[in-house]
Amino acid sequence: MAIVCFITVPIGTILFKLFLGPGESWQHIVKNLLLDYSLNSFWLILGCICLTLLFGVSSAWIVSRYNIPFRRPLEWMLILPLAIPSYITAYAYAGFFDYGGSLELLLRSVGSKPFRIDVMNILGLIFVLSISLFPYVYVSARAVFLYQSGRLIEASKMLGVKEFRTFLKIVLPISRPAIVGGLVLVVMEVLNDYGAAKYYGVSTFTTGIFRSWFSLEEPSTAIYLSAILLILVFVFIFIERYQRAGKDYTMTAKSDIKLPRITIAKRKQIPLFFLAFIPVFFGFILPIFQLIYWSFLTFENINYTTFFSTAIQSLAIALLTALVTVFFALLVLYFPKWNALKFLKKSSRITILGYAIPGAVIAIGVMIPTLQLDKWLVKMSNEMFGVKIGLVINGTIIVLLYAYMIRFLAVAFNPIESSHLKIPESLSESSRLLGKGYLKTFFKIDFPLLKSGLLSAFILVFVDAMKELPLTLILKPYDINTLAVKAYEYASDELVMEAALPSLCIVATGILPIILLNRLILK
Amino acid sequence: MSIILHIEKLFKSYNKKEGVVINGVDLAIEKGKIVCVVGESGSGKTTLTRLVAGLETQDHGVIKLNDKIVASDKVFIPPEDRKIGMVFQDYALFPHLTVYKNVAYGIADSQDKEVRVAEVLKLVGLEGYANRFPHQLSGGQQQRVALARALAPKPQLLILDEPFSNLDVALKLQLRNEIFDIIKRTNVTAIFVTHDTQDAVAISDEIVVLKKGKIIQQGSSEVLYKSPVDLYVASFFGTVFRLQDDDLEIFGLASETEKHYAVRLKDLQVNTNCTYSTEVFVEKSLFFGEYYLNTVKLSNDTVVNCMSIQKLEGKVTLGIEKNAVLAFGDISE
Amino acid sequence: MKKAYLILAIIFSFTACKSDKKNQSESKEDNKPETQEVNVYTHRHYPADQELFASFEKQTGIKVNVVNAKADELIQKMTEEGEQSPADVLITVDAGRLVRAKDKGLLQTVDSEALNKIIPANLRDENNQWFALTKRARVIVYAKDRVKSEDLSSYEDLTSDKWKGKILVRSSNNIYNQSLLASIIANNGEDEAKVWAEKVVANMARTPKGNDRDQVKAVVAGEGDIAIVNTYYIGKLLNSKNPEEVKAGNGVSVFFPNQEGRGTHINVSGAGVAKYAPNKTNAIKFIEFLASKEAQEVFAKANYEYPVNKDVTPSELLSSWGEFKEDLLALSVLGKNNKKAVITFDVAGWK
Repeated sequence: MAIVCFITVPIGTILFKLFLGPGESWQHIVKNLLLDYSLNSFWLILGCICLTLLFGVSSAWIVSRYNIPFRRPLEWMLILPLAIPSYITAYAYAGFFDYGGSLELLLRSVGSKPFRIDVMNILGLIFVLSISLFPYVYVSARAVFLYQSGRLIEASKMLGVKEFRTFLKIVLPISRPAIVGGLVLVVMEVLNDYGAAKYYGVSTFTTGIFRSWFSLEEPSTAIYLSAILLILVFVFIFIERYQRAGKDYTMTAKSDIKLPRITIAKRKQIPLFFLAFIPVFFGFILPIFQLIYWSFLTFENINYTTFFSTAIQSLAIALLTALVTVFFALLVLYFPKWNALKFLKKSSRITILGYAIPGAVIAIGVMIPTLQLDKWLVKMSNEMFGVKIGLVINGTIIVLLYAYMIRFLAVAFNPIESSHLKIPESLSESSRLLGKGYLKTFFKIDFPLLKSGLLSAFILVFVDAMKELPLTLILKPYDINTLAVKAYEYASDELVMEAALPSLCIVATGILPIILLNRLILK
Repeated sequence: MSIILHIEKLFKSYNKKEGVVINGVDLAIEKGKIVCVVGESGSGKTTLTRLVAGLETQDHGVIKLNDKIVASDKVFIPPEDRKIGMVFQDYALFPHLTVYKNVAYGIADSQDKEVRVAEVLKLVGLEGYANRFPHQLSGGQQQRVALARALAPKPQLLILDEPFSNLDVALKLQLRNEIFDIIKRTNVTAIFVTHDTQDAVAISDEIVVLKKGKIIQQGSSEVLYKSPVDLYVASFFGTVFRLQDDDLEIFGLASETEKHYAVRLKDLQVNTNCTYSTEVFVEKSLFFGEYYLNTVKLSNDTVVNCMSIQKLEGKVTLGIEKNAVLAFGDISE
Repeated sequence: MKKAYLILAIIFSFTACKSDKKNQSESKEDNKPETQEVNVYTHRHYPADQELFASFEKQTGIKVNVVNAKADELIQKMTEEGEQSPADVLITVDAGRLVRAKDKGLLQTVDSEALNKIIPANLRDENNQWFALTKRARVIVYAKDRVKSEDLSSYEDLTSDKWKGKILVRSSNNIYNQSLLASIIANNGEDEAKVWAEKVVANMARTPKGNDRDQVKAVVAGEGDIAIVNTYYIGKLLNSKNPEEVKAGNGVSVFFPNQEGRGTHINVSGAGVAKYAPNKTNAIKFIEFLASKEAQEVFAKANYEYPVNKDVTPSELLSSWGEFKEDLLALSVLGKNNKKAVITFDVAGWK
């Protein structure tokens, strides 16, 4: 119970603030802006859903079904766009297509007439966000394709149905829950995006939240807006669940075969290769190229001693965050079980909603209760011991980790839960019957079996924490700096080029874990 | 009778490590027959049927369906164009479709789907289940849906891959007979793949025995019973005891080198008038209703079983008739 | 359940350890009246600032602890932290935020002769709760090849039909635009300001997007003819490592609007001492240092900002644009009108 409280307090704080009513500008927002925010967010989400589906599902199908050149490297390269924060990708694209941008230089150098595509609008934003977020769909779709569809495809073939129709009528429907799971993450990321939308001049709910919070100085209005956002997310998830209800897609996976690969004619392989390569190119290679070019222009401007210490601090924080978050995800999963508390099982789900809430809002949700605790501690120490102390918890890494944990719990929870579901309950039951306590059972039985899920969770949180920005900005202790903050500082000061080097570092630290993650998924 | 499936010199290997899975198979199957492909796991029986179905491609060899080449070194007709029905071991029912939609899935658009679905559902005895989802059915019902789905497009050949392996024994016996009846009624040529020799004997017109990627024997169950090519085939019809050289000596049976001998349980008689006989010591005699099952020890300490009408004790004479002795040229273990 | 208490216990003991440490450092503080450090919450994150902080540390031995974030977030943080806030100095990049911090009671009055002498009255708070450190002018830049400086006159002139489809400006989320409109509200009244915003929106070459640099690039590329930007971005463009940006910087000229009237709108970057500053003396020393000639020269040179210290001349580039008449409107008004400005932007449809 304490655990659940611990995790839900920040979210609860925000909900409580909701009852205090919106600020005075609420009417103004409803009248002048809400429609615009809603429409933009709607089109943005719709566009991103379509594009991420297109990129994610097609590439997943191609690399899992066909023997094409460079299939293995493509498999992990398709996840790499996740290593670049999406606002950095947005900056890179803007720079590439800018006046005097890389595209223009390239075209000029080959003597062709420069042309320019304006990416800085809602269509560009949809493209940029989709190309950097599609791996969420790709990863979940590929897992189903590889491990759950093989036998059914054969059955469909035996019934005289061709490849394409089989894909539409069998493969897609059975993959739907997994693909939607990936899409939910995409939608949450899109809703959470602030940097890219702001730079591209698209007013979304999240830019609205920041505007009413900071420009209008009404945090309560901002929280109202984020509550609407939250409700939208819940409605979205709920509709999906409701629609799915009654159709239990979980299959008896044990006798299933891995998806057989088809070898096709060389001349057909090439277009398929390019089809799968397009998202890698636009999602990773092109922005990285732009970042490298910028770094090349600006590397002299960087103070390397602070830069390295920043890099190491980021790494340490991300690792710690991953550790703490995975630990709490395990607690959320196992605690209700150990204590046979049914109602907790359901309520523990609430705790994974942190991902849907914008990082800045979580920061406030964390700050208010911890400050209360701090003030109480200060008062207590003053009264009881006569010692004057400063803030004990706030401004320390504990609060930062706490907030990260709330935010990324969902990210860690999903892979752990899915590998937990694969462990038959009878295993731990028989361990208990053999006289081992639940802790011992956990460490001897569940833990080794959960390993790959835990590692996936760890990696996902690590990569996300490396990229996280708004929350870090608000809660980080003075003497600590992260690469993402560094990159943001440069970018927000219109030193986009100088932001390239720290961004590249974020990407570099993300690549290895992502390759490892790919191995884990395929195992 | 016309030949529906003709396989010539078929070879298949997946990778070097596993070696050859199908090692030169020649096979012809007549129309309308129910053929069982039996073999121990790893014998290549599933691979053989997957090659026939077009789910795998062979390394060499020719497969003809109804005199049309569906797979050769030059030709490969994909599975969806072979008109072969298949019932998978795990049924592979589409979990997101109702029974009706599962069964209608393979029926060509030109046909009246509703009529055909009703027809096959009636055939398998599942009228009234059309709107259920697969996970709402029992194992046996799922099995029958899978069969109905495979039969619905009127395939020229039906393949059933280990169809009973997921069912419990009682259900299996009942379903085995039902499915046999259904297949006979539809007149479709069927290939059963099974590792359970009891199934093979019970339902097939013809049995094909596969071992290490080769067909070692093919024929009706009578043929297989009368002249099994090895101990494995002989054991299809019940317990068989192998007789080693010293056992043969005790029974007074002259052995030829290079040959191996065995005897079925039912041919070991407590009878002094048999061609070959010897005195044995009874260790145990268990009552089984119709008969007693005895565990007896030969003078060289070899232990065998035999049946008797009465309870046995102490020393008795165990005999074998001459024509009951099974002799094989070669026994591969 | 037991486990839960265990964890709680662990957390408490953890925090207890933390507070022990704090206590020790606090008790050290008792020996010396103030530890030699100053905690700075700043929105400025230029490399030049870091150099300045380092040289301050060197000169005084006072350690500078920095929290870098947006001013809004820093103010929110200080509000929540209340009396326990470790912040000594708040630095923002606009006057509006300083006024807001003052209104929220986050700053305190400072009585510093040095600051009063160096910084003109209109550039500091009436109660001396904050002081401007650098100035930026929000000017109009125009394409050298298409626009003559005679065509330009004032911010108000931007509403004229001749600029239809020619004006480039960034989003109203940006504080510099908010301050500009706040000054127009102060000078011309709310209704006229609204009309102004609406007409400028009607004259825009495209929906607002990108940053100030992007507006300049778009002018040079011909997407529009004029842009409203801050002066120091032109300096940054001209000194960029990217030759294309230098080209863009060279493609435009700077025009100081409203020279005939009230003067060009300026905004400032400034600092104030936090109300509950644990190191007040150091904080004042720190701000005095930033206003000193030495520091102001760094601001002027490295960042192309106008110094507030009259003894320091602006950088060569800034001087080359000539002197200009500043709008002498008290900067605190900008803060007071900020919210009105934001709402006016919304009503006018300025994205």
